[in-house]
Amino acid sequence: MRLKTPREKRILYFKTTLRWFLYFFIIFLSFTVMTSGSWTKPVLLVPAALCIAMSNDLMASAYTGAFCGLLIDIACGRLLGFNAVVMTVFCVAMTLIFELYLRKKFINYIVTAAAMTFLQCWLDYKFFYEIWGYSDVERIFTNVTLKVWLYTLLSSVVMYIIFRIINNILMPKEHLTIEEVIRTS
Amino acid sequence: MGEFLKSTRFKVLLAFLAFLVGIMIYSVTKGGYSLSGASFINTITKPFRFASNSISMKIEKNADRISNADAYYEENLELKRQIGELNKKLTDYDDLVAEVEELRKLVVIKEEHPDSIFSQPAEVMGYIANDPFKGFTIDRGYADGIEPYSPVITPEGIVGIVIEVSQHTSTVRTLLSPDLSIAAICSSTNTDFGIIEGSVITAENEMTKLTHLDKNHKIKKGDLMITSGSSGLFPKDYAIGTVTEVGIEANGLSAYAEIEPSADISRLRSVFVITDFEGKIGEEEKEDTDEAENTP
Repeated sequence: MRLKTPREKRILYFKTTLRWFLYFFIIFLSFTVMTSGSWTKPVLLVPAALCIAMSNDLMASAYTGAFCGLLIDIACGRLLGFNAVVMTVFCVAMTLIFELYLRKKFINYIVTAAAMTFLQCWLDYKFFYEIWGYSDVERIFTNVTLKVWLYTLLSSVVMYIIFRIINNILMPKEHLTIEEVIRTS
Repeated sequence: MGEFLKSTRFKVLLAFLAFLVGIMIYSVTKGGYSLSGASFINTITKPFRFASNSISMKIEKNADRISNADAYYEENLELKRQIGELNKKLTDYDDLVAEVEELRKLVVIKEEHPDSIFSQPAEVMGYIANDPFKGFTIDRGYADGIEPYSPVITPEGIVGIVIEVSQHTSTVRTLLSPDLSIAAICSSTNTDFGIIEGSVITAENEMTKLTHLDKNHKIKKGDLMITSGSSGLFPKDYAIGTVTEVGIEANGLSAYAEIEPSADISRLRSVFVITDFEGKIGEEEKEDTDEAENTP
């Protein structure tokens, strides 16, 4: 991206700072909701991290994924680091998929998010319930895991809209020269 | 993609993943104590979690009222009849009196169990997200003298056991979990022993199960099960729950009973932690017992 003037640079820094502040505010809100009440809740931090990964660079996605994963571990009482590893891999994959193969369209996002949230829920079920061989453990999968996945998938739509609005307003736009436009087209 | 796999940022990424795996392995070796990072986040977010949980519990209460209106209506009629009888004996208590009553119950527990040392009342910060066994977090940690595997109670009875301790917060595993086994004895017969252990099915109805019960037992519906204190993990003579159903196991070798916990596990607001009691096992024995009883 080409920055022309110091004023443009200042605006860019301001917008980037504000954007990341809003990202982390949403992450914080998601964590707070996840730790409230005794009802079944969506794992809001997964779609939040995936939305951030979809429109940011690789390392930022990896760090955000790790941070969100650690928060999921705390909120869900899991082994600290488990979801951090899972979410880092998911976020990196999300960034690469949208950098290399897919356009940033809602349908692409929701299909990818559906697959990744399901995988996250399945891994959680596999490592924290099924692996221990509880009797009738499959009931947890049908009564809890699938319900959580469905709620998470629904929340992914809301998250997409929120992050789309933030990115539309605060994400820096490409400034191309005429030569670059011709070359790109 | 090939370029990416050969790039420096991919190597950096791999190193970062290795670092995270390192954290995971290190947290396994902490033996029930949180990492300082998790402890820090728990401390920072504590007031927000309190506030949010309080709002959420209120919403949950109202949603519950609407969705179970019919059942509550029937129950209400029955309760009105009972209230009519009880009104002759009871006076109204306001919130302050209720609070004093709760503290009085603690005093009673202390008098009944002089060998036990209790923590200050611990408030429930929130339930573990989507845990089918209703594990929860409390606002007391090792700074308040709480250690891993300390029993957690309410004035009504045993709730569970502390499994992870941070500086100012602790995570509790409830008796609905299959990972927690409690040696129990029937308070009325005083001869029928068994192991109380949660299961996936009983946890759906917030019940637990008494297993390894002799086929010739004398336990009947309505009997109270109390802790036997034989494992050294729980003190003796604390209420666990009431028998709601008795039957013979599918293998025909032993009997079982379904137990309704004395404490309302999914609506807890405050609990007490027993930090020390007579017959408590030491750290080394605890690890052995933990391997044998608490780990699946």
